[in-house]
Amino acid sequence: MTEHVKHGCKAIALAVSAATLIPFNAVNAAGNWSGFAENATYYRDEVGLSKFRNTVQFEFQNDIASETFRSLQVNAIIRATYDGVYDLNDDEFGEDVSYDYLGADWHDNDIASQVILTPGVPVPCENDPAQCSALDGYMDEDSDEIRFPDFNDELDFVRELYVTADLQLAGDDVLSMRLGKQQVVWGKTDLFRVLDVINPVDYSRHNIYDELEDIRIPQWMFTADWRMGPNNVFDDSNLQLVWNFDEFRPSNLGTCGQSYRILDAGCFFTSSVSSDYLNAVLGSMGMPALYSANVPIIHDVQDPDWEIANTQVGLKWEGVLGDVTFSLNALHYRQQLPSLHFRALAPGAPIPAGDGVFDIEFPRVNLLGGSVDYYSMAMDAVWRLELAYTEGEELPRDTDGHRETEMARYVIGFDKNQVIPALGTNSAFLISAQVFGEHILDHVEDMPNEEDNWIATFLFKGFYVNNRLSPQIIVAHDFGGKATAIAPSVSYIVNNNWLVNFGANVKLGGDETFPWAVAGGQSVYEPLSRFTNGPIGVANNEDEIQLTVRYSF
Amino acid sequence: MFKKTLVSVALSLGMVAASATAQVSDDVINASFFPYKDSVPSFEGLQVGMTINQGNVEQFKDILDPAMYQFIAQGDTEIKVGETTSFDLHPSYVEATRKYTDGVTLGEKVGQISDHQAGRPFPQEPSLDDPRAGEKLAWNYKYGYNWGDSAVIQPFYWKFRNMKNAKVERTIVMNFNFLNFTRRTSTEPTPEITPNPSNMFRSIYMKVLEPFDLKNTQLLIHRFQDDTKLDNSYLYLGFQRRVRRLSSGQTTDAFLGSDLMIEDFEGYNGRISDMKWTYKGTKNILLPFFNHNDMPKDEEAYKDDEGFQMIAYGGKGNCFPEVTYQLRKAYVVEAEPVDENHPISKRIHYIDAQTFVLPRNVIYDRKGEMWKSFTIGQSHPDHHLPVNKGTGVSIDDAVTMIDVQANHCTTAQFKGIVDSSLSPPDTFTVQNLRASGN
Repeated sequence: MTEHVKHGCKAIALAVSAATLIPFNAVNAAGNWSGFAENATYYRDEVGLSKFRNTVQFEFQNDIASETFRSLQVNAIIRATYDGVYDLNDDEFGEDVSYDYLGADWHDNDIASQVILTPGVPVPCENDPAQCSALDGYMDEDSDEIRFPDFNDELDFVRELYVTADLQLAGDDVLSMRLGKQQVVWGKTDLFRVLDVINPVDYSRHNIYDELEDIRIPQWMFTADWRMGPNNVFDDSNLQLVWNFDEFRPSNLGTCGQSYRILDAGCFFTSSVSSDYLNAVLGSMGMPALYSANVPIIHDVQDPDWEIANTQVGLKWEGVLGDVTFSLNALHYRQQLPSLHFRALAPGAPIPAGDGVFDIEFPRVNLLGGSVDYYSMAMDAVWRLELAYTEGEELPRDTDGHRETEMARYVIGFDKNQVIPALGTNSAFLISAQVFGEHILDHVEDMPNEEDNWIATFLFKGFYVNNRLSPQIIVAHDFGGKATAIAPSVSYIVNNNWLVNFGANVKLGGDETFPWAVAGGQSVYEPLSRFTNGPIGVANNEDEIQLTVRYSF
Repeated sequence: MFKKTLVSVALSLGMVAASATAQVSDDVINASFFPYKDSVPSFEGLQVGMTINQGNVEQFKDILDPAMYQFIAQGDTEIKVGETTSFDLHPSYVEATRKYTDGVTLGEKVGQISDHQAGRPFPQEPSLDDPRAGEKLAWNYKYGYNWGDSAVIQPFYWKFRNMKNAKVERTIVMNFNFLNFTRRTSTEPTPEITPNPSNMFRSIYMKVLEPFDLKNTQLLIHRFQDDTKLDNSYLYLGFQRRVRRLSSGQTTDAFLGSDLMIEDFEGYNGRISDMKWTYKGTKNILLPFFNHNDMPKDEEAYKDDEGFQMIAYGGKGNCFPEVTYQLRKAYVVEAEPVDENHPISKRIHYIDAQTFVLPRNVIYDRKGEMWKSFTIGQSHPDHHLPVNKGTGVSIDDAVTMIDVQANHCTTAQFKGIVDSSLSPPDTFTVQNLRASGN
């Protein structure tokens, strides 16, 4: 049975299971339908059209009569997307594009990309069957799948489909259960994820810049919330169990050839090490040439099979205590970003096996964390704090490809609403700042990521004409990567149906290099400085103006 | 010193004992709750059934507030005069006033009040000689029987209208829920819902149903017994699927882009201590009190299975509810924000003396010029939905907030239901925001 059929059967089986629990005559056939049709057209400096995305989304919600449950509801979100950029600008994106060298979209050529590594192969399943086979199941979209990203083996056009049932318990307690394909959101952070890691993310849609709501990859999950309400200490208290029983899916970083490839990882994965270079290395060691062909970067993606032991589980306790809302979180999951495991030609050899340099793995991770927000009367502002400690993550390093390390991540956020009459409106401006910090507990010198790094974000948003006209500016700065993104935009709500958003996204930075041992310790861009420069720096040539028009119904 | 303390304690105990046993007199109760028992107010030339319009408004200027006078004089609207009727509040609230409020006193600072269990804290007639009379009237409003112990508005249609061309720019459909945690008189449990660890007084919960871009937006406000403590407010944004705390700056902001701020809800939705309250006098004035079932209905907005429809709007920009106005006794109170950075300079509230709801309010900008006119039309509960009959709640039924400077208004049409089963306490929890989101 192919993966496609397996996924399809699973989705249909679960939907049918859910449906058979519900008496047909209890369902209001009309339900509550809403949705939107949207065109997002982006133009990239010196490249031309970078996005011509057309999306139609339907949302369905229906309450179901039940004598057993206090409330019973079915929800569904169906999304269909076609990105015409691959047809309208096929000189730059898609299966027919060619790159002068690896990383040509974000840095100058140097010895690493000129001599050692070959350019990435765009849309490998159209251009290189061997690469396609190596990546089997991970970032191996074919040309139809990058044009129609919701229509894939995982049936992503069914973005959400779940049944929620609330059962009244003794006293005022409620057990709320939700089964189906869904998003589960933890934490309080915008743009970056500390606790919000249950669903993987599709960065190929628009890097880190789209709302997480639209780029989280929904998973088949069961959640149970024991809503305990107030007691003598807490104003509110809730215990949540999350069981992600879906087959593991990593985050989508964007296939080589797509217009958004976070960290340009997709092209690196379809790159190869030059056989000439490798044979020269052997020659310098007094050994004969062994490599008859370039060695692909990726040998295999070790995607965990579906089995109970590979499912993911989390627990959250949250509540309200006076002016403080808090949560304590624990999650057993898999790292959603790939970890590269070096495959030596022979045990201990410094050169790779001929059939591939790395295997991609997704290690198991344990997370403990929590969040707090607090309203300060004195400052008339809200402070947000989010913390996560993990064990089991693997980060890239120069030697051996990866290192397992404990990690600490945190966000401190500050939100304030301030009326500024000088700016011509009586509406308060939203001022929101946050600092996202990351500390690598087992850091070693040959890691491209700094032991401590911070990304700061700042949002300033105003409201005019009864909130229908809303200008805003978002600035994000990566201290380690010395990279900055500036995204001003203006949205206008014409009426209940039409919304227009016009914006720009400008990046600075992307100039950091890393002393790569393979290049004799020379500071080069490839392949490790993609981690140093981060998602903002690597996208330094992706300055864009962006127009989005949406019709809601 | 010791003897002095003993005397002080003895006096205090004596006061507690006295306040526990003394009751408010029938005269005070009758004057406060049944002002139309023996007679209704009158004004020269005013007759039930007549219309006040641009042609005759000067004659009735004294029984109109400045904003209504201006609208009529400009020809923006005209009003029909209805019979003055008694809006009797629920007997349990009247009895609570009789039993528990004798001896209720203000504290040293604005926002402080002595032990108050339930009922109208200061049922006595206000005096211009009392420098804190305005504050007492504000407490009467805050601890009033506004929506009873619990109620819902579902659905609740808000329309943003361009007053110049009558174009409806936005329609927002919401549900509102109200719950009193303390000072409950008519619905069990009384007088308080427990546990109540943070000593909440009241909570408001709101959820947006339409349009798509605001769908699933939810607002939760927790108001505390301690008036000096700021509300805790939480906002759930559907597109973020996350609960966010609100700073108070957002309570004085245009709520969802409307002409109302959260602080405007129900006439005034803030702390007593946020304002300087001044009683300006008592007068008979035309106020929008009516029987819902007898008013013209909006044939397009909404109709439920039982045929309930909402109040129609007309006048300039369709900004004015087509309801009748009664000549009623009102207390005029000026509220000036303590915070110098507050977006308004003052509100003038015309408090209905019988119900202590705020049917007419005029709001002035920082320069002292008239900025907004806020009407909250009141329906008698016995002439509304069948479920509301006998609830003794003056039903908020037709709202308009008119920005006279921007020529813009937000109208709100109600289906108010006084039914506690629709607002269980767990509706008013942060967890419910998450559970009721996507």
